[in-house]
Amino acid sequence: MTMNAADLVHDISGLVTLPDVYLRINELIEDPNSSSNDIARVVKQDASFTMRLLKLANSALYSFPSAIDSVDKAIAIIGTAQVRNLALSLSVARSFAGLPNDLVSMENFWKHSLLCALSARHLAKLTRRCEPDALFTAGLLHDIGELIIFNRLPLQAKQALLTVLDAEGELPIYQAERATMGFDHSAVGGELAQAWNLPALLKECISHHHNLVKADKHPREVAVIHLANIIAQMAEIDSTELDDVEPIDPKAWEVTGLDAEVIEPIMRAAQGELAEVEKLFLE
Amino acid sequence: MPLAHPLPPALPGFEHVRRRWDDNLGTVNARILPGELYVTASDEGVTTTLGSCISACIRDRVSGIGGMNHFMLPSDGSDPAALKASNLSAATRYGNHAMEHLINAIMRNGGRRENLEVKVFGGGRIIANMTDVGLRNIAFVRHYLAMEGLQIASQDVGDVFPRMVAYFPATGRVRVKRLRSLHNNTIASQEQKYIESIKRQPVSGDVELF
Repeated sequence: MTMNAADLVHDISGLVTLPDVYLRINELIEDPNSSSNDIARVVKQDASFTMRLLKLANSALYSFPSAIDSVDKAIAIIGTAQVRNLALSLSVARSFAGLPNDLVSMENFWKHSLLCALSARHLAKLTRRCEPDALFTAGLLHDIGELIIFNRLPLQAKQALLTVLDAEGELPIYQAERATMGFDHSAVGGELAQAWNLPALLKECISHHHNLVKADKHPREVAVIHLANIIAQMAEIDSTELDDVEPIDPKAWEVTGLDAEVIEPIMRAAQGELAEVEKLFLE
Repeated sequence: MPLAHPLPPALPGFEHVRRRWDDNLGTVNARILPGELYVTASDEGVTTTLGSCISACIRDRVSGIGGMNHFMLPSDGSDPAALKASNLSAATRYGNHAMEHLINAIMRNGGRRENLEVKVFGGGRIIANMTDVGLRNIAFVRHYLAMEGLQIASQDVGDVFPRMVAYFPATGRVRVKRLRSLHNNTIASQEQKYIESIKRQPVSGDVELF
């Protein structure tokens, strides 16, 4: 029997679960009667998340003028919606540790995801009406379907990787996946986002970062993740040559109002920030 | 269907190497795997994918005859930086054989030693927390070429990424594309298979495997 993207996700729902702190913050945000005090209380009950949230709030990523030494202050400055995003971001690597694979090391996988998240954050700052922290989370999650494919369909996933290498590296992995199994990691990630009931922005970025025309409610954010993914690939191989990575959809420039001049400074910034965020997100 | 891009004739001994037209490169392209080599007198490319392995790209810069090998040394626990091609250990035999085989094939087909132009690629450290076998392969090939009195015209070696190398002996042009870490394990497992096969098949006489 051949599997489709939805079957794969159905299969792993018991193995990978959303962190409790995210679910509880999520509930409170949806509840009109809750206050930021309620959210602060939930955060404080999770000592490990509290510690990492404060570390992150005080990191170079934010560069706030004064030290953020309490959860209440962090929530006041970062905002409740962004604390929800961070609750997801800060634990996603841990959530997926239960889904190991032999094809790609977790370290390399998350390094690419973090470079994408950092690039997306910078792109969002330059793009009108884009929320940098939300785009950071979208960047971190954009390839999450890969981990499911690598774990559940290792033979087909390996075949897809070999196809890319055999094509002299000019073939993007998502196209090889479609040729090998009939769907790609963005479809699998989209199914997971659906199953987890993630916000529409995240769901669209995960589902459509290789196919911008499909973006419906959040075309700007999807375009940012499309660009950030490619900048992350350049950062990984330390190359400023666009020929070395998969092609950028010109629509992404159109939608964001940005141009190729932004690539190199953002790539360098993301490379510079990687070491610090790796410690916060992957430990 | 008519064959739009006929293959140029292969030199004797290289008929078995897989070749096909490549739209991206705009040439016929021979693809070699770990342990193989390809030498040509025609206007065509040779490509390979390297992790910690080395490819030497050598040609006669006057006649354009040239080619590429792809090899690594089996590990013997010795200090990578102190490796000498002149040590006649089991490990260096494979490297010596790969280099000699390439140079001899070029000369046998009309290349002249004084015209040789050498480029070297690969030797990446693609698996973390492992002895740096790439460094050892780089040390070997540099020492080998120095002993042969051959200068390296250009190189892209070491660092942490795998590489796709396309070489065009007729012009000497090389295209090196660094690959994403997504491919590290796939390439490392191909190289591992190769290293296990040479351990089982010791070098002797004029065998094709090295």
